[in-house]
Amino acid sequence: MGADLIHLLNTYGTQFLSSYWVSLRIALIAFAGGFLLGTLLTVARVSPIPPLRGAVNVFVETFRNAPVLCVLIFIVYALPDLGIVIDYEPSVIIALVLVSSAFACDNLRTGINTIDAGQIEAARALGMGFSSIVGSIVLPQAFRSVIQPMVTLFISVVISSSAGSLVPLAHKELTGLVADINNHEAMGMVTFLIASLLYVFTGLIIAFFGRKVERRLAIWR
Amino acid sequence: MAMTRTERALFEVGGPKARRRIVIGTVISAILLALLLAWVIYRFYEKGQLDYRYWYFFTQGNVIAFLGAGLIGTMRAALGAGAIALVMGMLLMLCRTSSIRPLSWLAATITEFLRGTPTLLFIYFLFLVPAQFGIHMSTYWMVVIPTSAYASAVLAEVYRAGVAAVPSGQKEAGISLGLTSSQNFRYIVMPQMLRIVTPTLVAQLVVVVKDTTFGYVVTYPELMVNAKVVIANFSSLVPVYLVVAIIYVLINYAISRFANWLSHRNSIDILV
Repeated sequence: MGADLIHLLNTYGTQFLSSYWVSLRIALIAFAGGFLLGTLLTVARVSPIPPLRGAVNVFVETFRNAPVLCVLIFIVYALPDLGIVIDYEPSVIIALVLVSSAFACDNLRTGINTIDAGQIEAARALGMGFSSIVGSIVLPQAFRSVIQPMVTLFISVVISSSAGSLVPLAHKELTGLVADINNHEAMGMVTFLIASLLYVFTGLIIAFFGRKVERRLAIWR
Repeated sequence: MAMTRTERALFEVGGPKARRRIVIGTVISAILLALLLAWVIYRFYEKGQLDYRYWYFFTQGNVIAFLGAGLIGTMRAALGAGAIALVMGMLLMLCRTSSIRPLSWLAATITEFLRGTPTLLFIYFLFLVPAQFGIHMSTYWMVVIPTSAYASAVLAEVYRAGVAAVPSGQKEAGISLGLTSSQNFRYIVMPQMLRIVTPTLVAQLVVVVKDTTFGYVVTYPELMVNAKVVIANFSSLVPVYLVVAIIYVLINYAISRFANWLSHRNSIDILV
């Protein structure tokens, strides 16, 4: 067992680190994109323009309920038939952005609803318009009240980055690498354990820092 | 979706100028959305994706039956995994809240471990490792075990939140009546906790249904895998994947709506 472990680490140690980094990279970009898109969607969802609200509702319900695998497979294998060819890693990121933006939008909507309507009425009485109410009163408070669900969302994006193993990435992410190793090595069991622990500890570390941020910024009502 | 008081306050109609701006915004955004939709449809048309040969087979009995069989495969896996998770989640929660320290630590570790590991990694594990030892496992279990493992860990946390949500006065009243702690749990806490967690349990079924799509990896005959077979036969990628995606969205949407309905009817929040 010990000799096997040394053999595995010698052979795959650096690949493990670089694949772990690929997973993190995918997750970071996807979460940032999802957060941004989710914020824009939320603004459209609370805007006074009915077609925008309707379109956002359809978007959110679609991507909240669609499996990531389905979205990814569609982007990678179906879109080329529509003349849209996207490289594998961007495809994984786009799939995760679409899905996570739907969840981010839902989180933010919950956050907005923790704000008392009186605040908005007060802002209106002061003569503020929709965009300044949303930008300087609603969103800042909404962000601060949804830190915990957003942290949870980030952790699930990290976990979902494993969907990258479904497509032949140029640089394999963690799950794909482990599956690959086990296609050649007979004693690759321990690689699963290492990968799993990397995911678990990443999640715990994110949760730890999330709690710190929350303690600083959250508004307790 | 119904608007809340905060949301209504946001759209409160202003003076004539604001109203005119809203009308202009509505018209412009409606036009832009219509253009987007038209562009998508034109794209389909231009690339020949609206051709009869890519769609006609959806009316054929055997294709419908085959996709239906895939859907049944999805349901079997989802319900199997859901049922296991209901029980295992309860066991994990009971161990975690038990007064025996090592047991509670063990349960906490297992919960964090299962919750933090991608289901897909676990599926690859069952797909590749037992075979190295000459153990053969059906693809059904390769999908159901990982899916239920993740769901068990999530449900353990849901049950725990449910127990915490039972008013402490109830537990204290039970103790003061002389119930033992296990009687207290069985007759006082558990029935109320189950009521509290029901909408959340239903909502979590969405995650389970989504996870069964990983049957794609091990070719367990669920909807995605059968869709792939249909595609291979009719070389119709876009329509089949589109239809399958819509089926998943509709199923999960129905489950979410049902969970929301349960939550509203009993005025119980959905716990995360």
